[in-house]
Amino acid sequence: MTTKPFLARRDCLRLGAAGLLSSASVPWFESVVRAAQSQSPRGRSKACILLWMDGGPSQQHTFDPKPGGEFKSTPTAVPGIHIVEQLPKLAASMKDLAILRSMKTEINDHYDAKYYLHTGFKRTTTFEHPALGCIASHQIGRETELPAFITIDAGNDKGNGGRLYRSVPAYLGPEHAPLAVQNALMGLENLKPTGGDLEARLELLSRSEARFLEQYPSPAVSAKQAALSRAVRLMKSNKAKAFNLDEEPAALRAAYGEHRFGQSCLLARRLVEAGVSFVEVFHRGWDDHEGAAKRITERAPWMDAGMSALIGDLKQRGMLEDTLVIWMGEFGRTPGKGDGHFCNAWTSVFAGGGINTGITIGKTNEDGKKPGNEVVERPISAPDFMATVCKVLDIDTHQEFIAPGQRPMPLVEKTAKVVSELFA
Amino acid sequence: MVTFERDVLPILTSNCLGCHGGLLQKGDLDLRSMPALLKGGKSGPAVKPGDPDASPLWEAIDSGEMPKGEKKLSAGEKEMLRRWVAAKLPTVASLPGDAAHKLSVGTTHPPTVVAAAIDAEIDTALRRQIFKPASPSDDAEFLRRIYLDLAGRVPTAAQAAAFLDSSEIDKRGRLIEELLASPQFGEQFGRTWRDWIAPPELPSDPNSGKQPVNETRALGKWFADRFNADEPWDEIVRAVVGVEGEAKNHPQVVALGLMGEGGKTTPAGSARGVASLFMGMQIQCAQCHDDPYRVFSQDEFWQLAAFFKKANGDFTKVYENPPPPKPDPKKPQDPDKKPKPVDPATIGTIDIPSSSFKNVGKRISARFPAGQEHKPDGDEPLRPALLNWLTAKENPYFARAFVNRTWSYFFNRGIVHPVDDLRPLNPPSHPHLLDLLEQQFKASNYDVKHIVRCICNSAAYQRTSRPAPVESESQGAALVRGFGRMPVRVMNADVLYESLKQIYGDPKFDLRSVDPKDGNTNGESAAVGDELLEFQRKFCTNEEDAADFTHGIPQMLAMLNHPRLLVGGAALGAYAHVPWTPLDKTGNPGKPVQPPSVKGGTAVPTPQQVVEWLYLSTLSRRPTAQERDEALDYVAKLNDPPRAYADVLWMLVNRSEFMLLR
Repeated sequence: MTTKPFLARRDCLRLGAAGLLSSASVPWFESVVRAAQSQSPRGRSKACILLWMDGGPSQQHTFDPKPGGEFKSTPTAVPGIHIVEQLPKLAASMKDLAILRSMKTEINDHYDAKYYLHTGFKRTTTFEHPALGCIASHQIGRETELPAFITIDAGNDKGNGGRLYRSVPAYLGPEHAPLAVQNALMGLENLKPTGGDLEARLELLSRSEARFLEQYPSPAVSAKQAALSRAVRLMKSNKAKAFNLDEEPAALRAAYGEHRFGQSCLLARRLVEAGVSFVEVFHRGWDDHEGAAKRITERAPWMDAGMSALIGDLKQRGMLEDTLVIWMGEFGRTPGKGDGHFCNAWTSVFAGGGINTGITIGKTNEDGKKPGNEVVERPISAPDFMATVCKVLDIDTHQEFIAPGQRPMPLVEKTAKVVSELFA
Repeated sequence: MVTFERDVLPILTSNCLGCHGGLLQKGDLDLRSMPALLKGGKSGPAVKPGDPDASPLWEAIDSGEMPKGEKKLSAGEKEMLRRWVAAKLPTVASLPGDAAHKLSVGTTHPPTVVAAAIDAEIDTALRRQIFKPASPSDDAEFLRRIYLDLAGRVPTAAQAAAFLDSSEIDKRGRLIEELLASPQFGEQFGRTWRDWIAPPELPSDPNSGKQPVNETRALGKWFADRFNADEPWDEIVRAVVGVEGEAKNHPQVVALGLMGEGGKTTPAGSARGVASLFMGMQIQCAQCHDDPYRVFSQDEFWQLAAFFKKANGDFTKVYENPPPPKPDPKKPQDPDKKPKPVDPATIGTIDIPSSSFKNVGKRISARFPAGQEHKPDGDEPLRPALLNWLTAKENPYFARAFVNRTWSYFFNRGIVHPVDDLRPLNPPSHPHLLDLLEQQFKASNYDVKHIVRCICNSAAYQRTSRPAPVESESQGAALVRGFGRMPVRVMNADVLYESLKQIYGDPKFDLRSVDPKDGNTNGESAAVGDELLEFQRKFCTNEEDAADFTHGIPQMLAMLNHPRLLVGGAALGAYAHVPWTPLDKTGNPGKPVQPPSVKGGTAVPTPQQVVEWLYLSTLSRRPTAQERDEALDYVAKLNDPPRAYADVLWMLVNRSEFMLLR
């Protein structure tokens, strides 16, 4: 049994504050940078980009088309595997995809399902479970100027898929909370200095801060000053450039698509490249109660472009083996028109991360009264899904933590089984 | 001296109660309380007072037989257990009594007299631990703390100067009175109770899907009016818990809705919420199963929940007896239709619902906690009886829960900690102090301000928070836990927001940088809320660790770089007679606003006066000579006074000294 080993950031904070004090002659943040660097970053570890279609995307209008369905299917680069013809670029990338067509996840309410698929546990009102991104931050996050977990809002459509799930780290500690980018095109808010000469102002500030810490050597003062140092460090660091899409060549930006989703995918790649361990790109409004056909016809081009460009770009940079890309929502939609919530048999898609690709896993029924109504082969539960993602990311799912109230908590529900077909 | 509650129970809790507690009782052994220990299990009593070697508990642990599994007790833990059995099982109650003077019970004593008694209790305990209390705060530190605690914002420059320059005797006591009489006191305590009822949004909050932001804010204002009208606590709680009606006349209805689930009131949610907030008891574990660590059974949980069976509602209404629906003119009325009769067997009972793990369907009758069964008279409302029981002077929970929570508001730690875990086995750190406050609260007929007055007039509250130059972190923490020094905390989001609004003279203080109309609002799934909600999200504090910066980087980046912090403000413009530049609709600096024209005889303040004003408005003190010179140098070098003053203001609000409540 492991007790929570989450003092790393606090220790780093202390170092940061100590650096601030002894920095009389050098620019005041330099020594802080050195202090933090003395903590050697972990070795090469994996990263994950989660493409979250908030509201629940229709599987039959994307990756699990049915004969006689509203969308026609198209062959893909892998013989025998078909997806909808609205996604030609992803069809061409099929060798890099693994389609999980047998998600079976019990919950049809938006918010409870978002919680379930983000944490692997059913929501209760008396206990908070950490979200996948926070777990990744805690387990495989690296000490850099950037937080290990970043979310990007890729905008929304007309549908309203209920309250947005906001990842919380729960018992893993607040340092694993995500940093939110509200619009990829604008970068991280407040990252760029405004007003006049920042250096002169920081100097005025740092002199009084150093004096105050001498008078008030309290943990709260160190924590505040270290948070300030980290923010300044990020502003000044090369990594801050990761938020700036203007550094990308125009052709590549175009390949990702003009839509905010594609540009968010591009930002996700830049962040992973800069050392971030987990990026969640969410696009809201897939709750297509009036039927999925019309809306997904509109969305397919930008989703196809953004996701396929992301996979291709990662591959070209040699990053795909270490970066898991996931496409999913909180559930799928009713077979046929896709107008209702449907958790009984739906689809998620994996790419990269060193898993087996060019395959489909699990099946839904092809015939009967309602094709696609049931999983007929290899159901995948939410805990199974969570255990599988953890395994891809080299996270030990058997760990147990002591949560508040002396409550032992496994990282993943103990009944979970990984989807072994994904692993060699 | 080793005691059961403080030393032994924590060891049992983390090592033994999993198998020998409320959830499982292997070998029929329950180790949760002294009587249970003495009763023992299959092998007889678990402990023999004074004789470790004849005690099965000690034997099993000493031999390594227990606990099963890899993790065994450390040598220190074992020694603690052995000493406790050898000393004949002492409990907190068996500790020698304090010599502190006791106040007569049943009389409201003057706040300064109560304050002296508070200090006697705390100082005795400190002496026993050989701790030297921290020195008294100076006027500036006290001024700032009392404004943040009682008014929920920093003082204005004028208020700060008036207090610092006053030579009145007892100016601190007078300021406490002044602030208690101001509407800001109620507003601050209203916001505080609002947050206690509806904690910051979390994915697991019971109403996850629905966020009644406006209703919850209205609840804070409702509390504010009650506190400002000096309404006694029992009446306020009656109005919250016993409410019957709709939000437009009774904004407090949202409280039971917030305690419920999925936007509706539930009996279990009301029981949980009322127990935690007004009785100081955590009973949530017992909703589904007997509590493994506390002596509280699932039956007891549902006995309390049964009182809320009929209180149905949501965020906008609560009724036990809803008014008849308005007749629908389209549907002919059936004169013979009568309301469905209530099955007499179900009156005053509740069936454990299927959402529990155990005993689903079991019928439980309403019963007062640790008291009698309640037999309602026919189908009468059930909550009034519970409220009569709860708010009675004999009630063992009600007054203690309030004074303990109020104490924790000021000291960042309850006398019983956590604040909603009052029970014999989690004893107070200062038992007589809790008794004293409880008695004063009852004697004053639940006068909220009386308790606040007593606490704020104590020397304990008026001590400095400044750490000693040489001490280890654990020494410092122990002194603060013993109330020998004030804690240092991060200002919570609302206090910071109110302070910034006042300092900048900007009633909106919008720090959002993304245009909310930029496709970002979308009903419940909106990613960006209004300016207050976004401020609260960005600056919310960490409940577990009040000294931490929960969202370090985004908080700091907003403070450092958001243009709102850098363009000065109306308050500064008016004082210094300089123009300032509000942000336009796009969030960029817009057209400068000129200061009001200087009337004959009014001199424009000098840079030195402006710097002093800026320090007083933000840090509630005057600058030191060094600080003044540094700021004046900066102003002189920049040669652009409006901008330089705005920059100094930016520097001040970014200081640790500003952001901390100390």
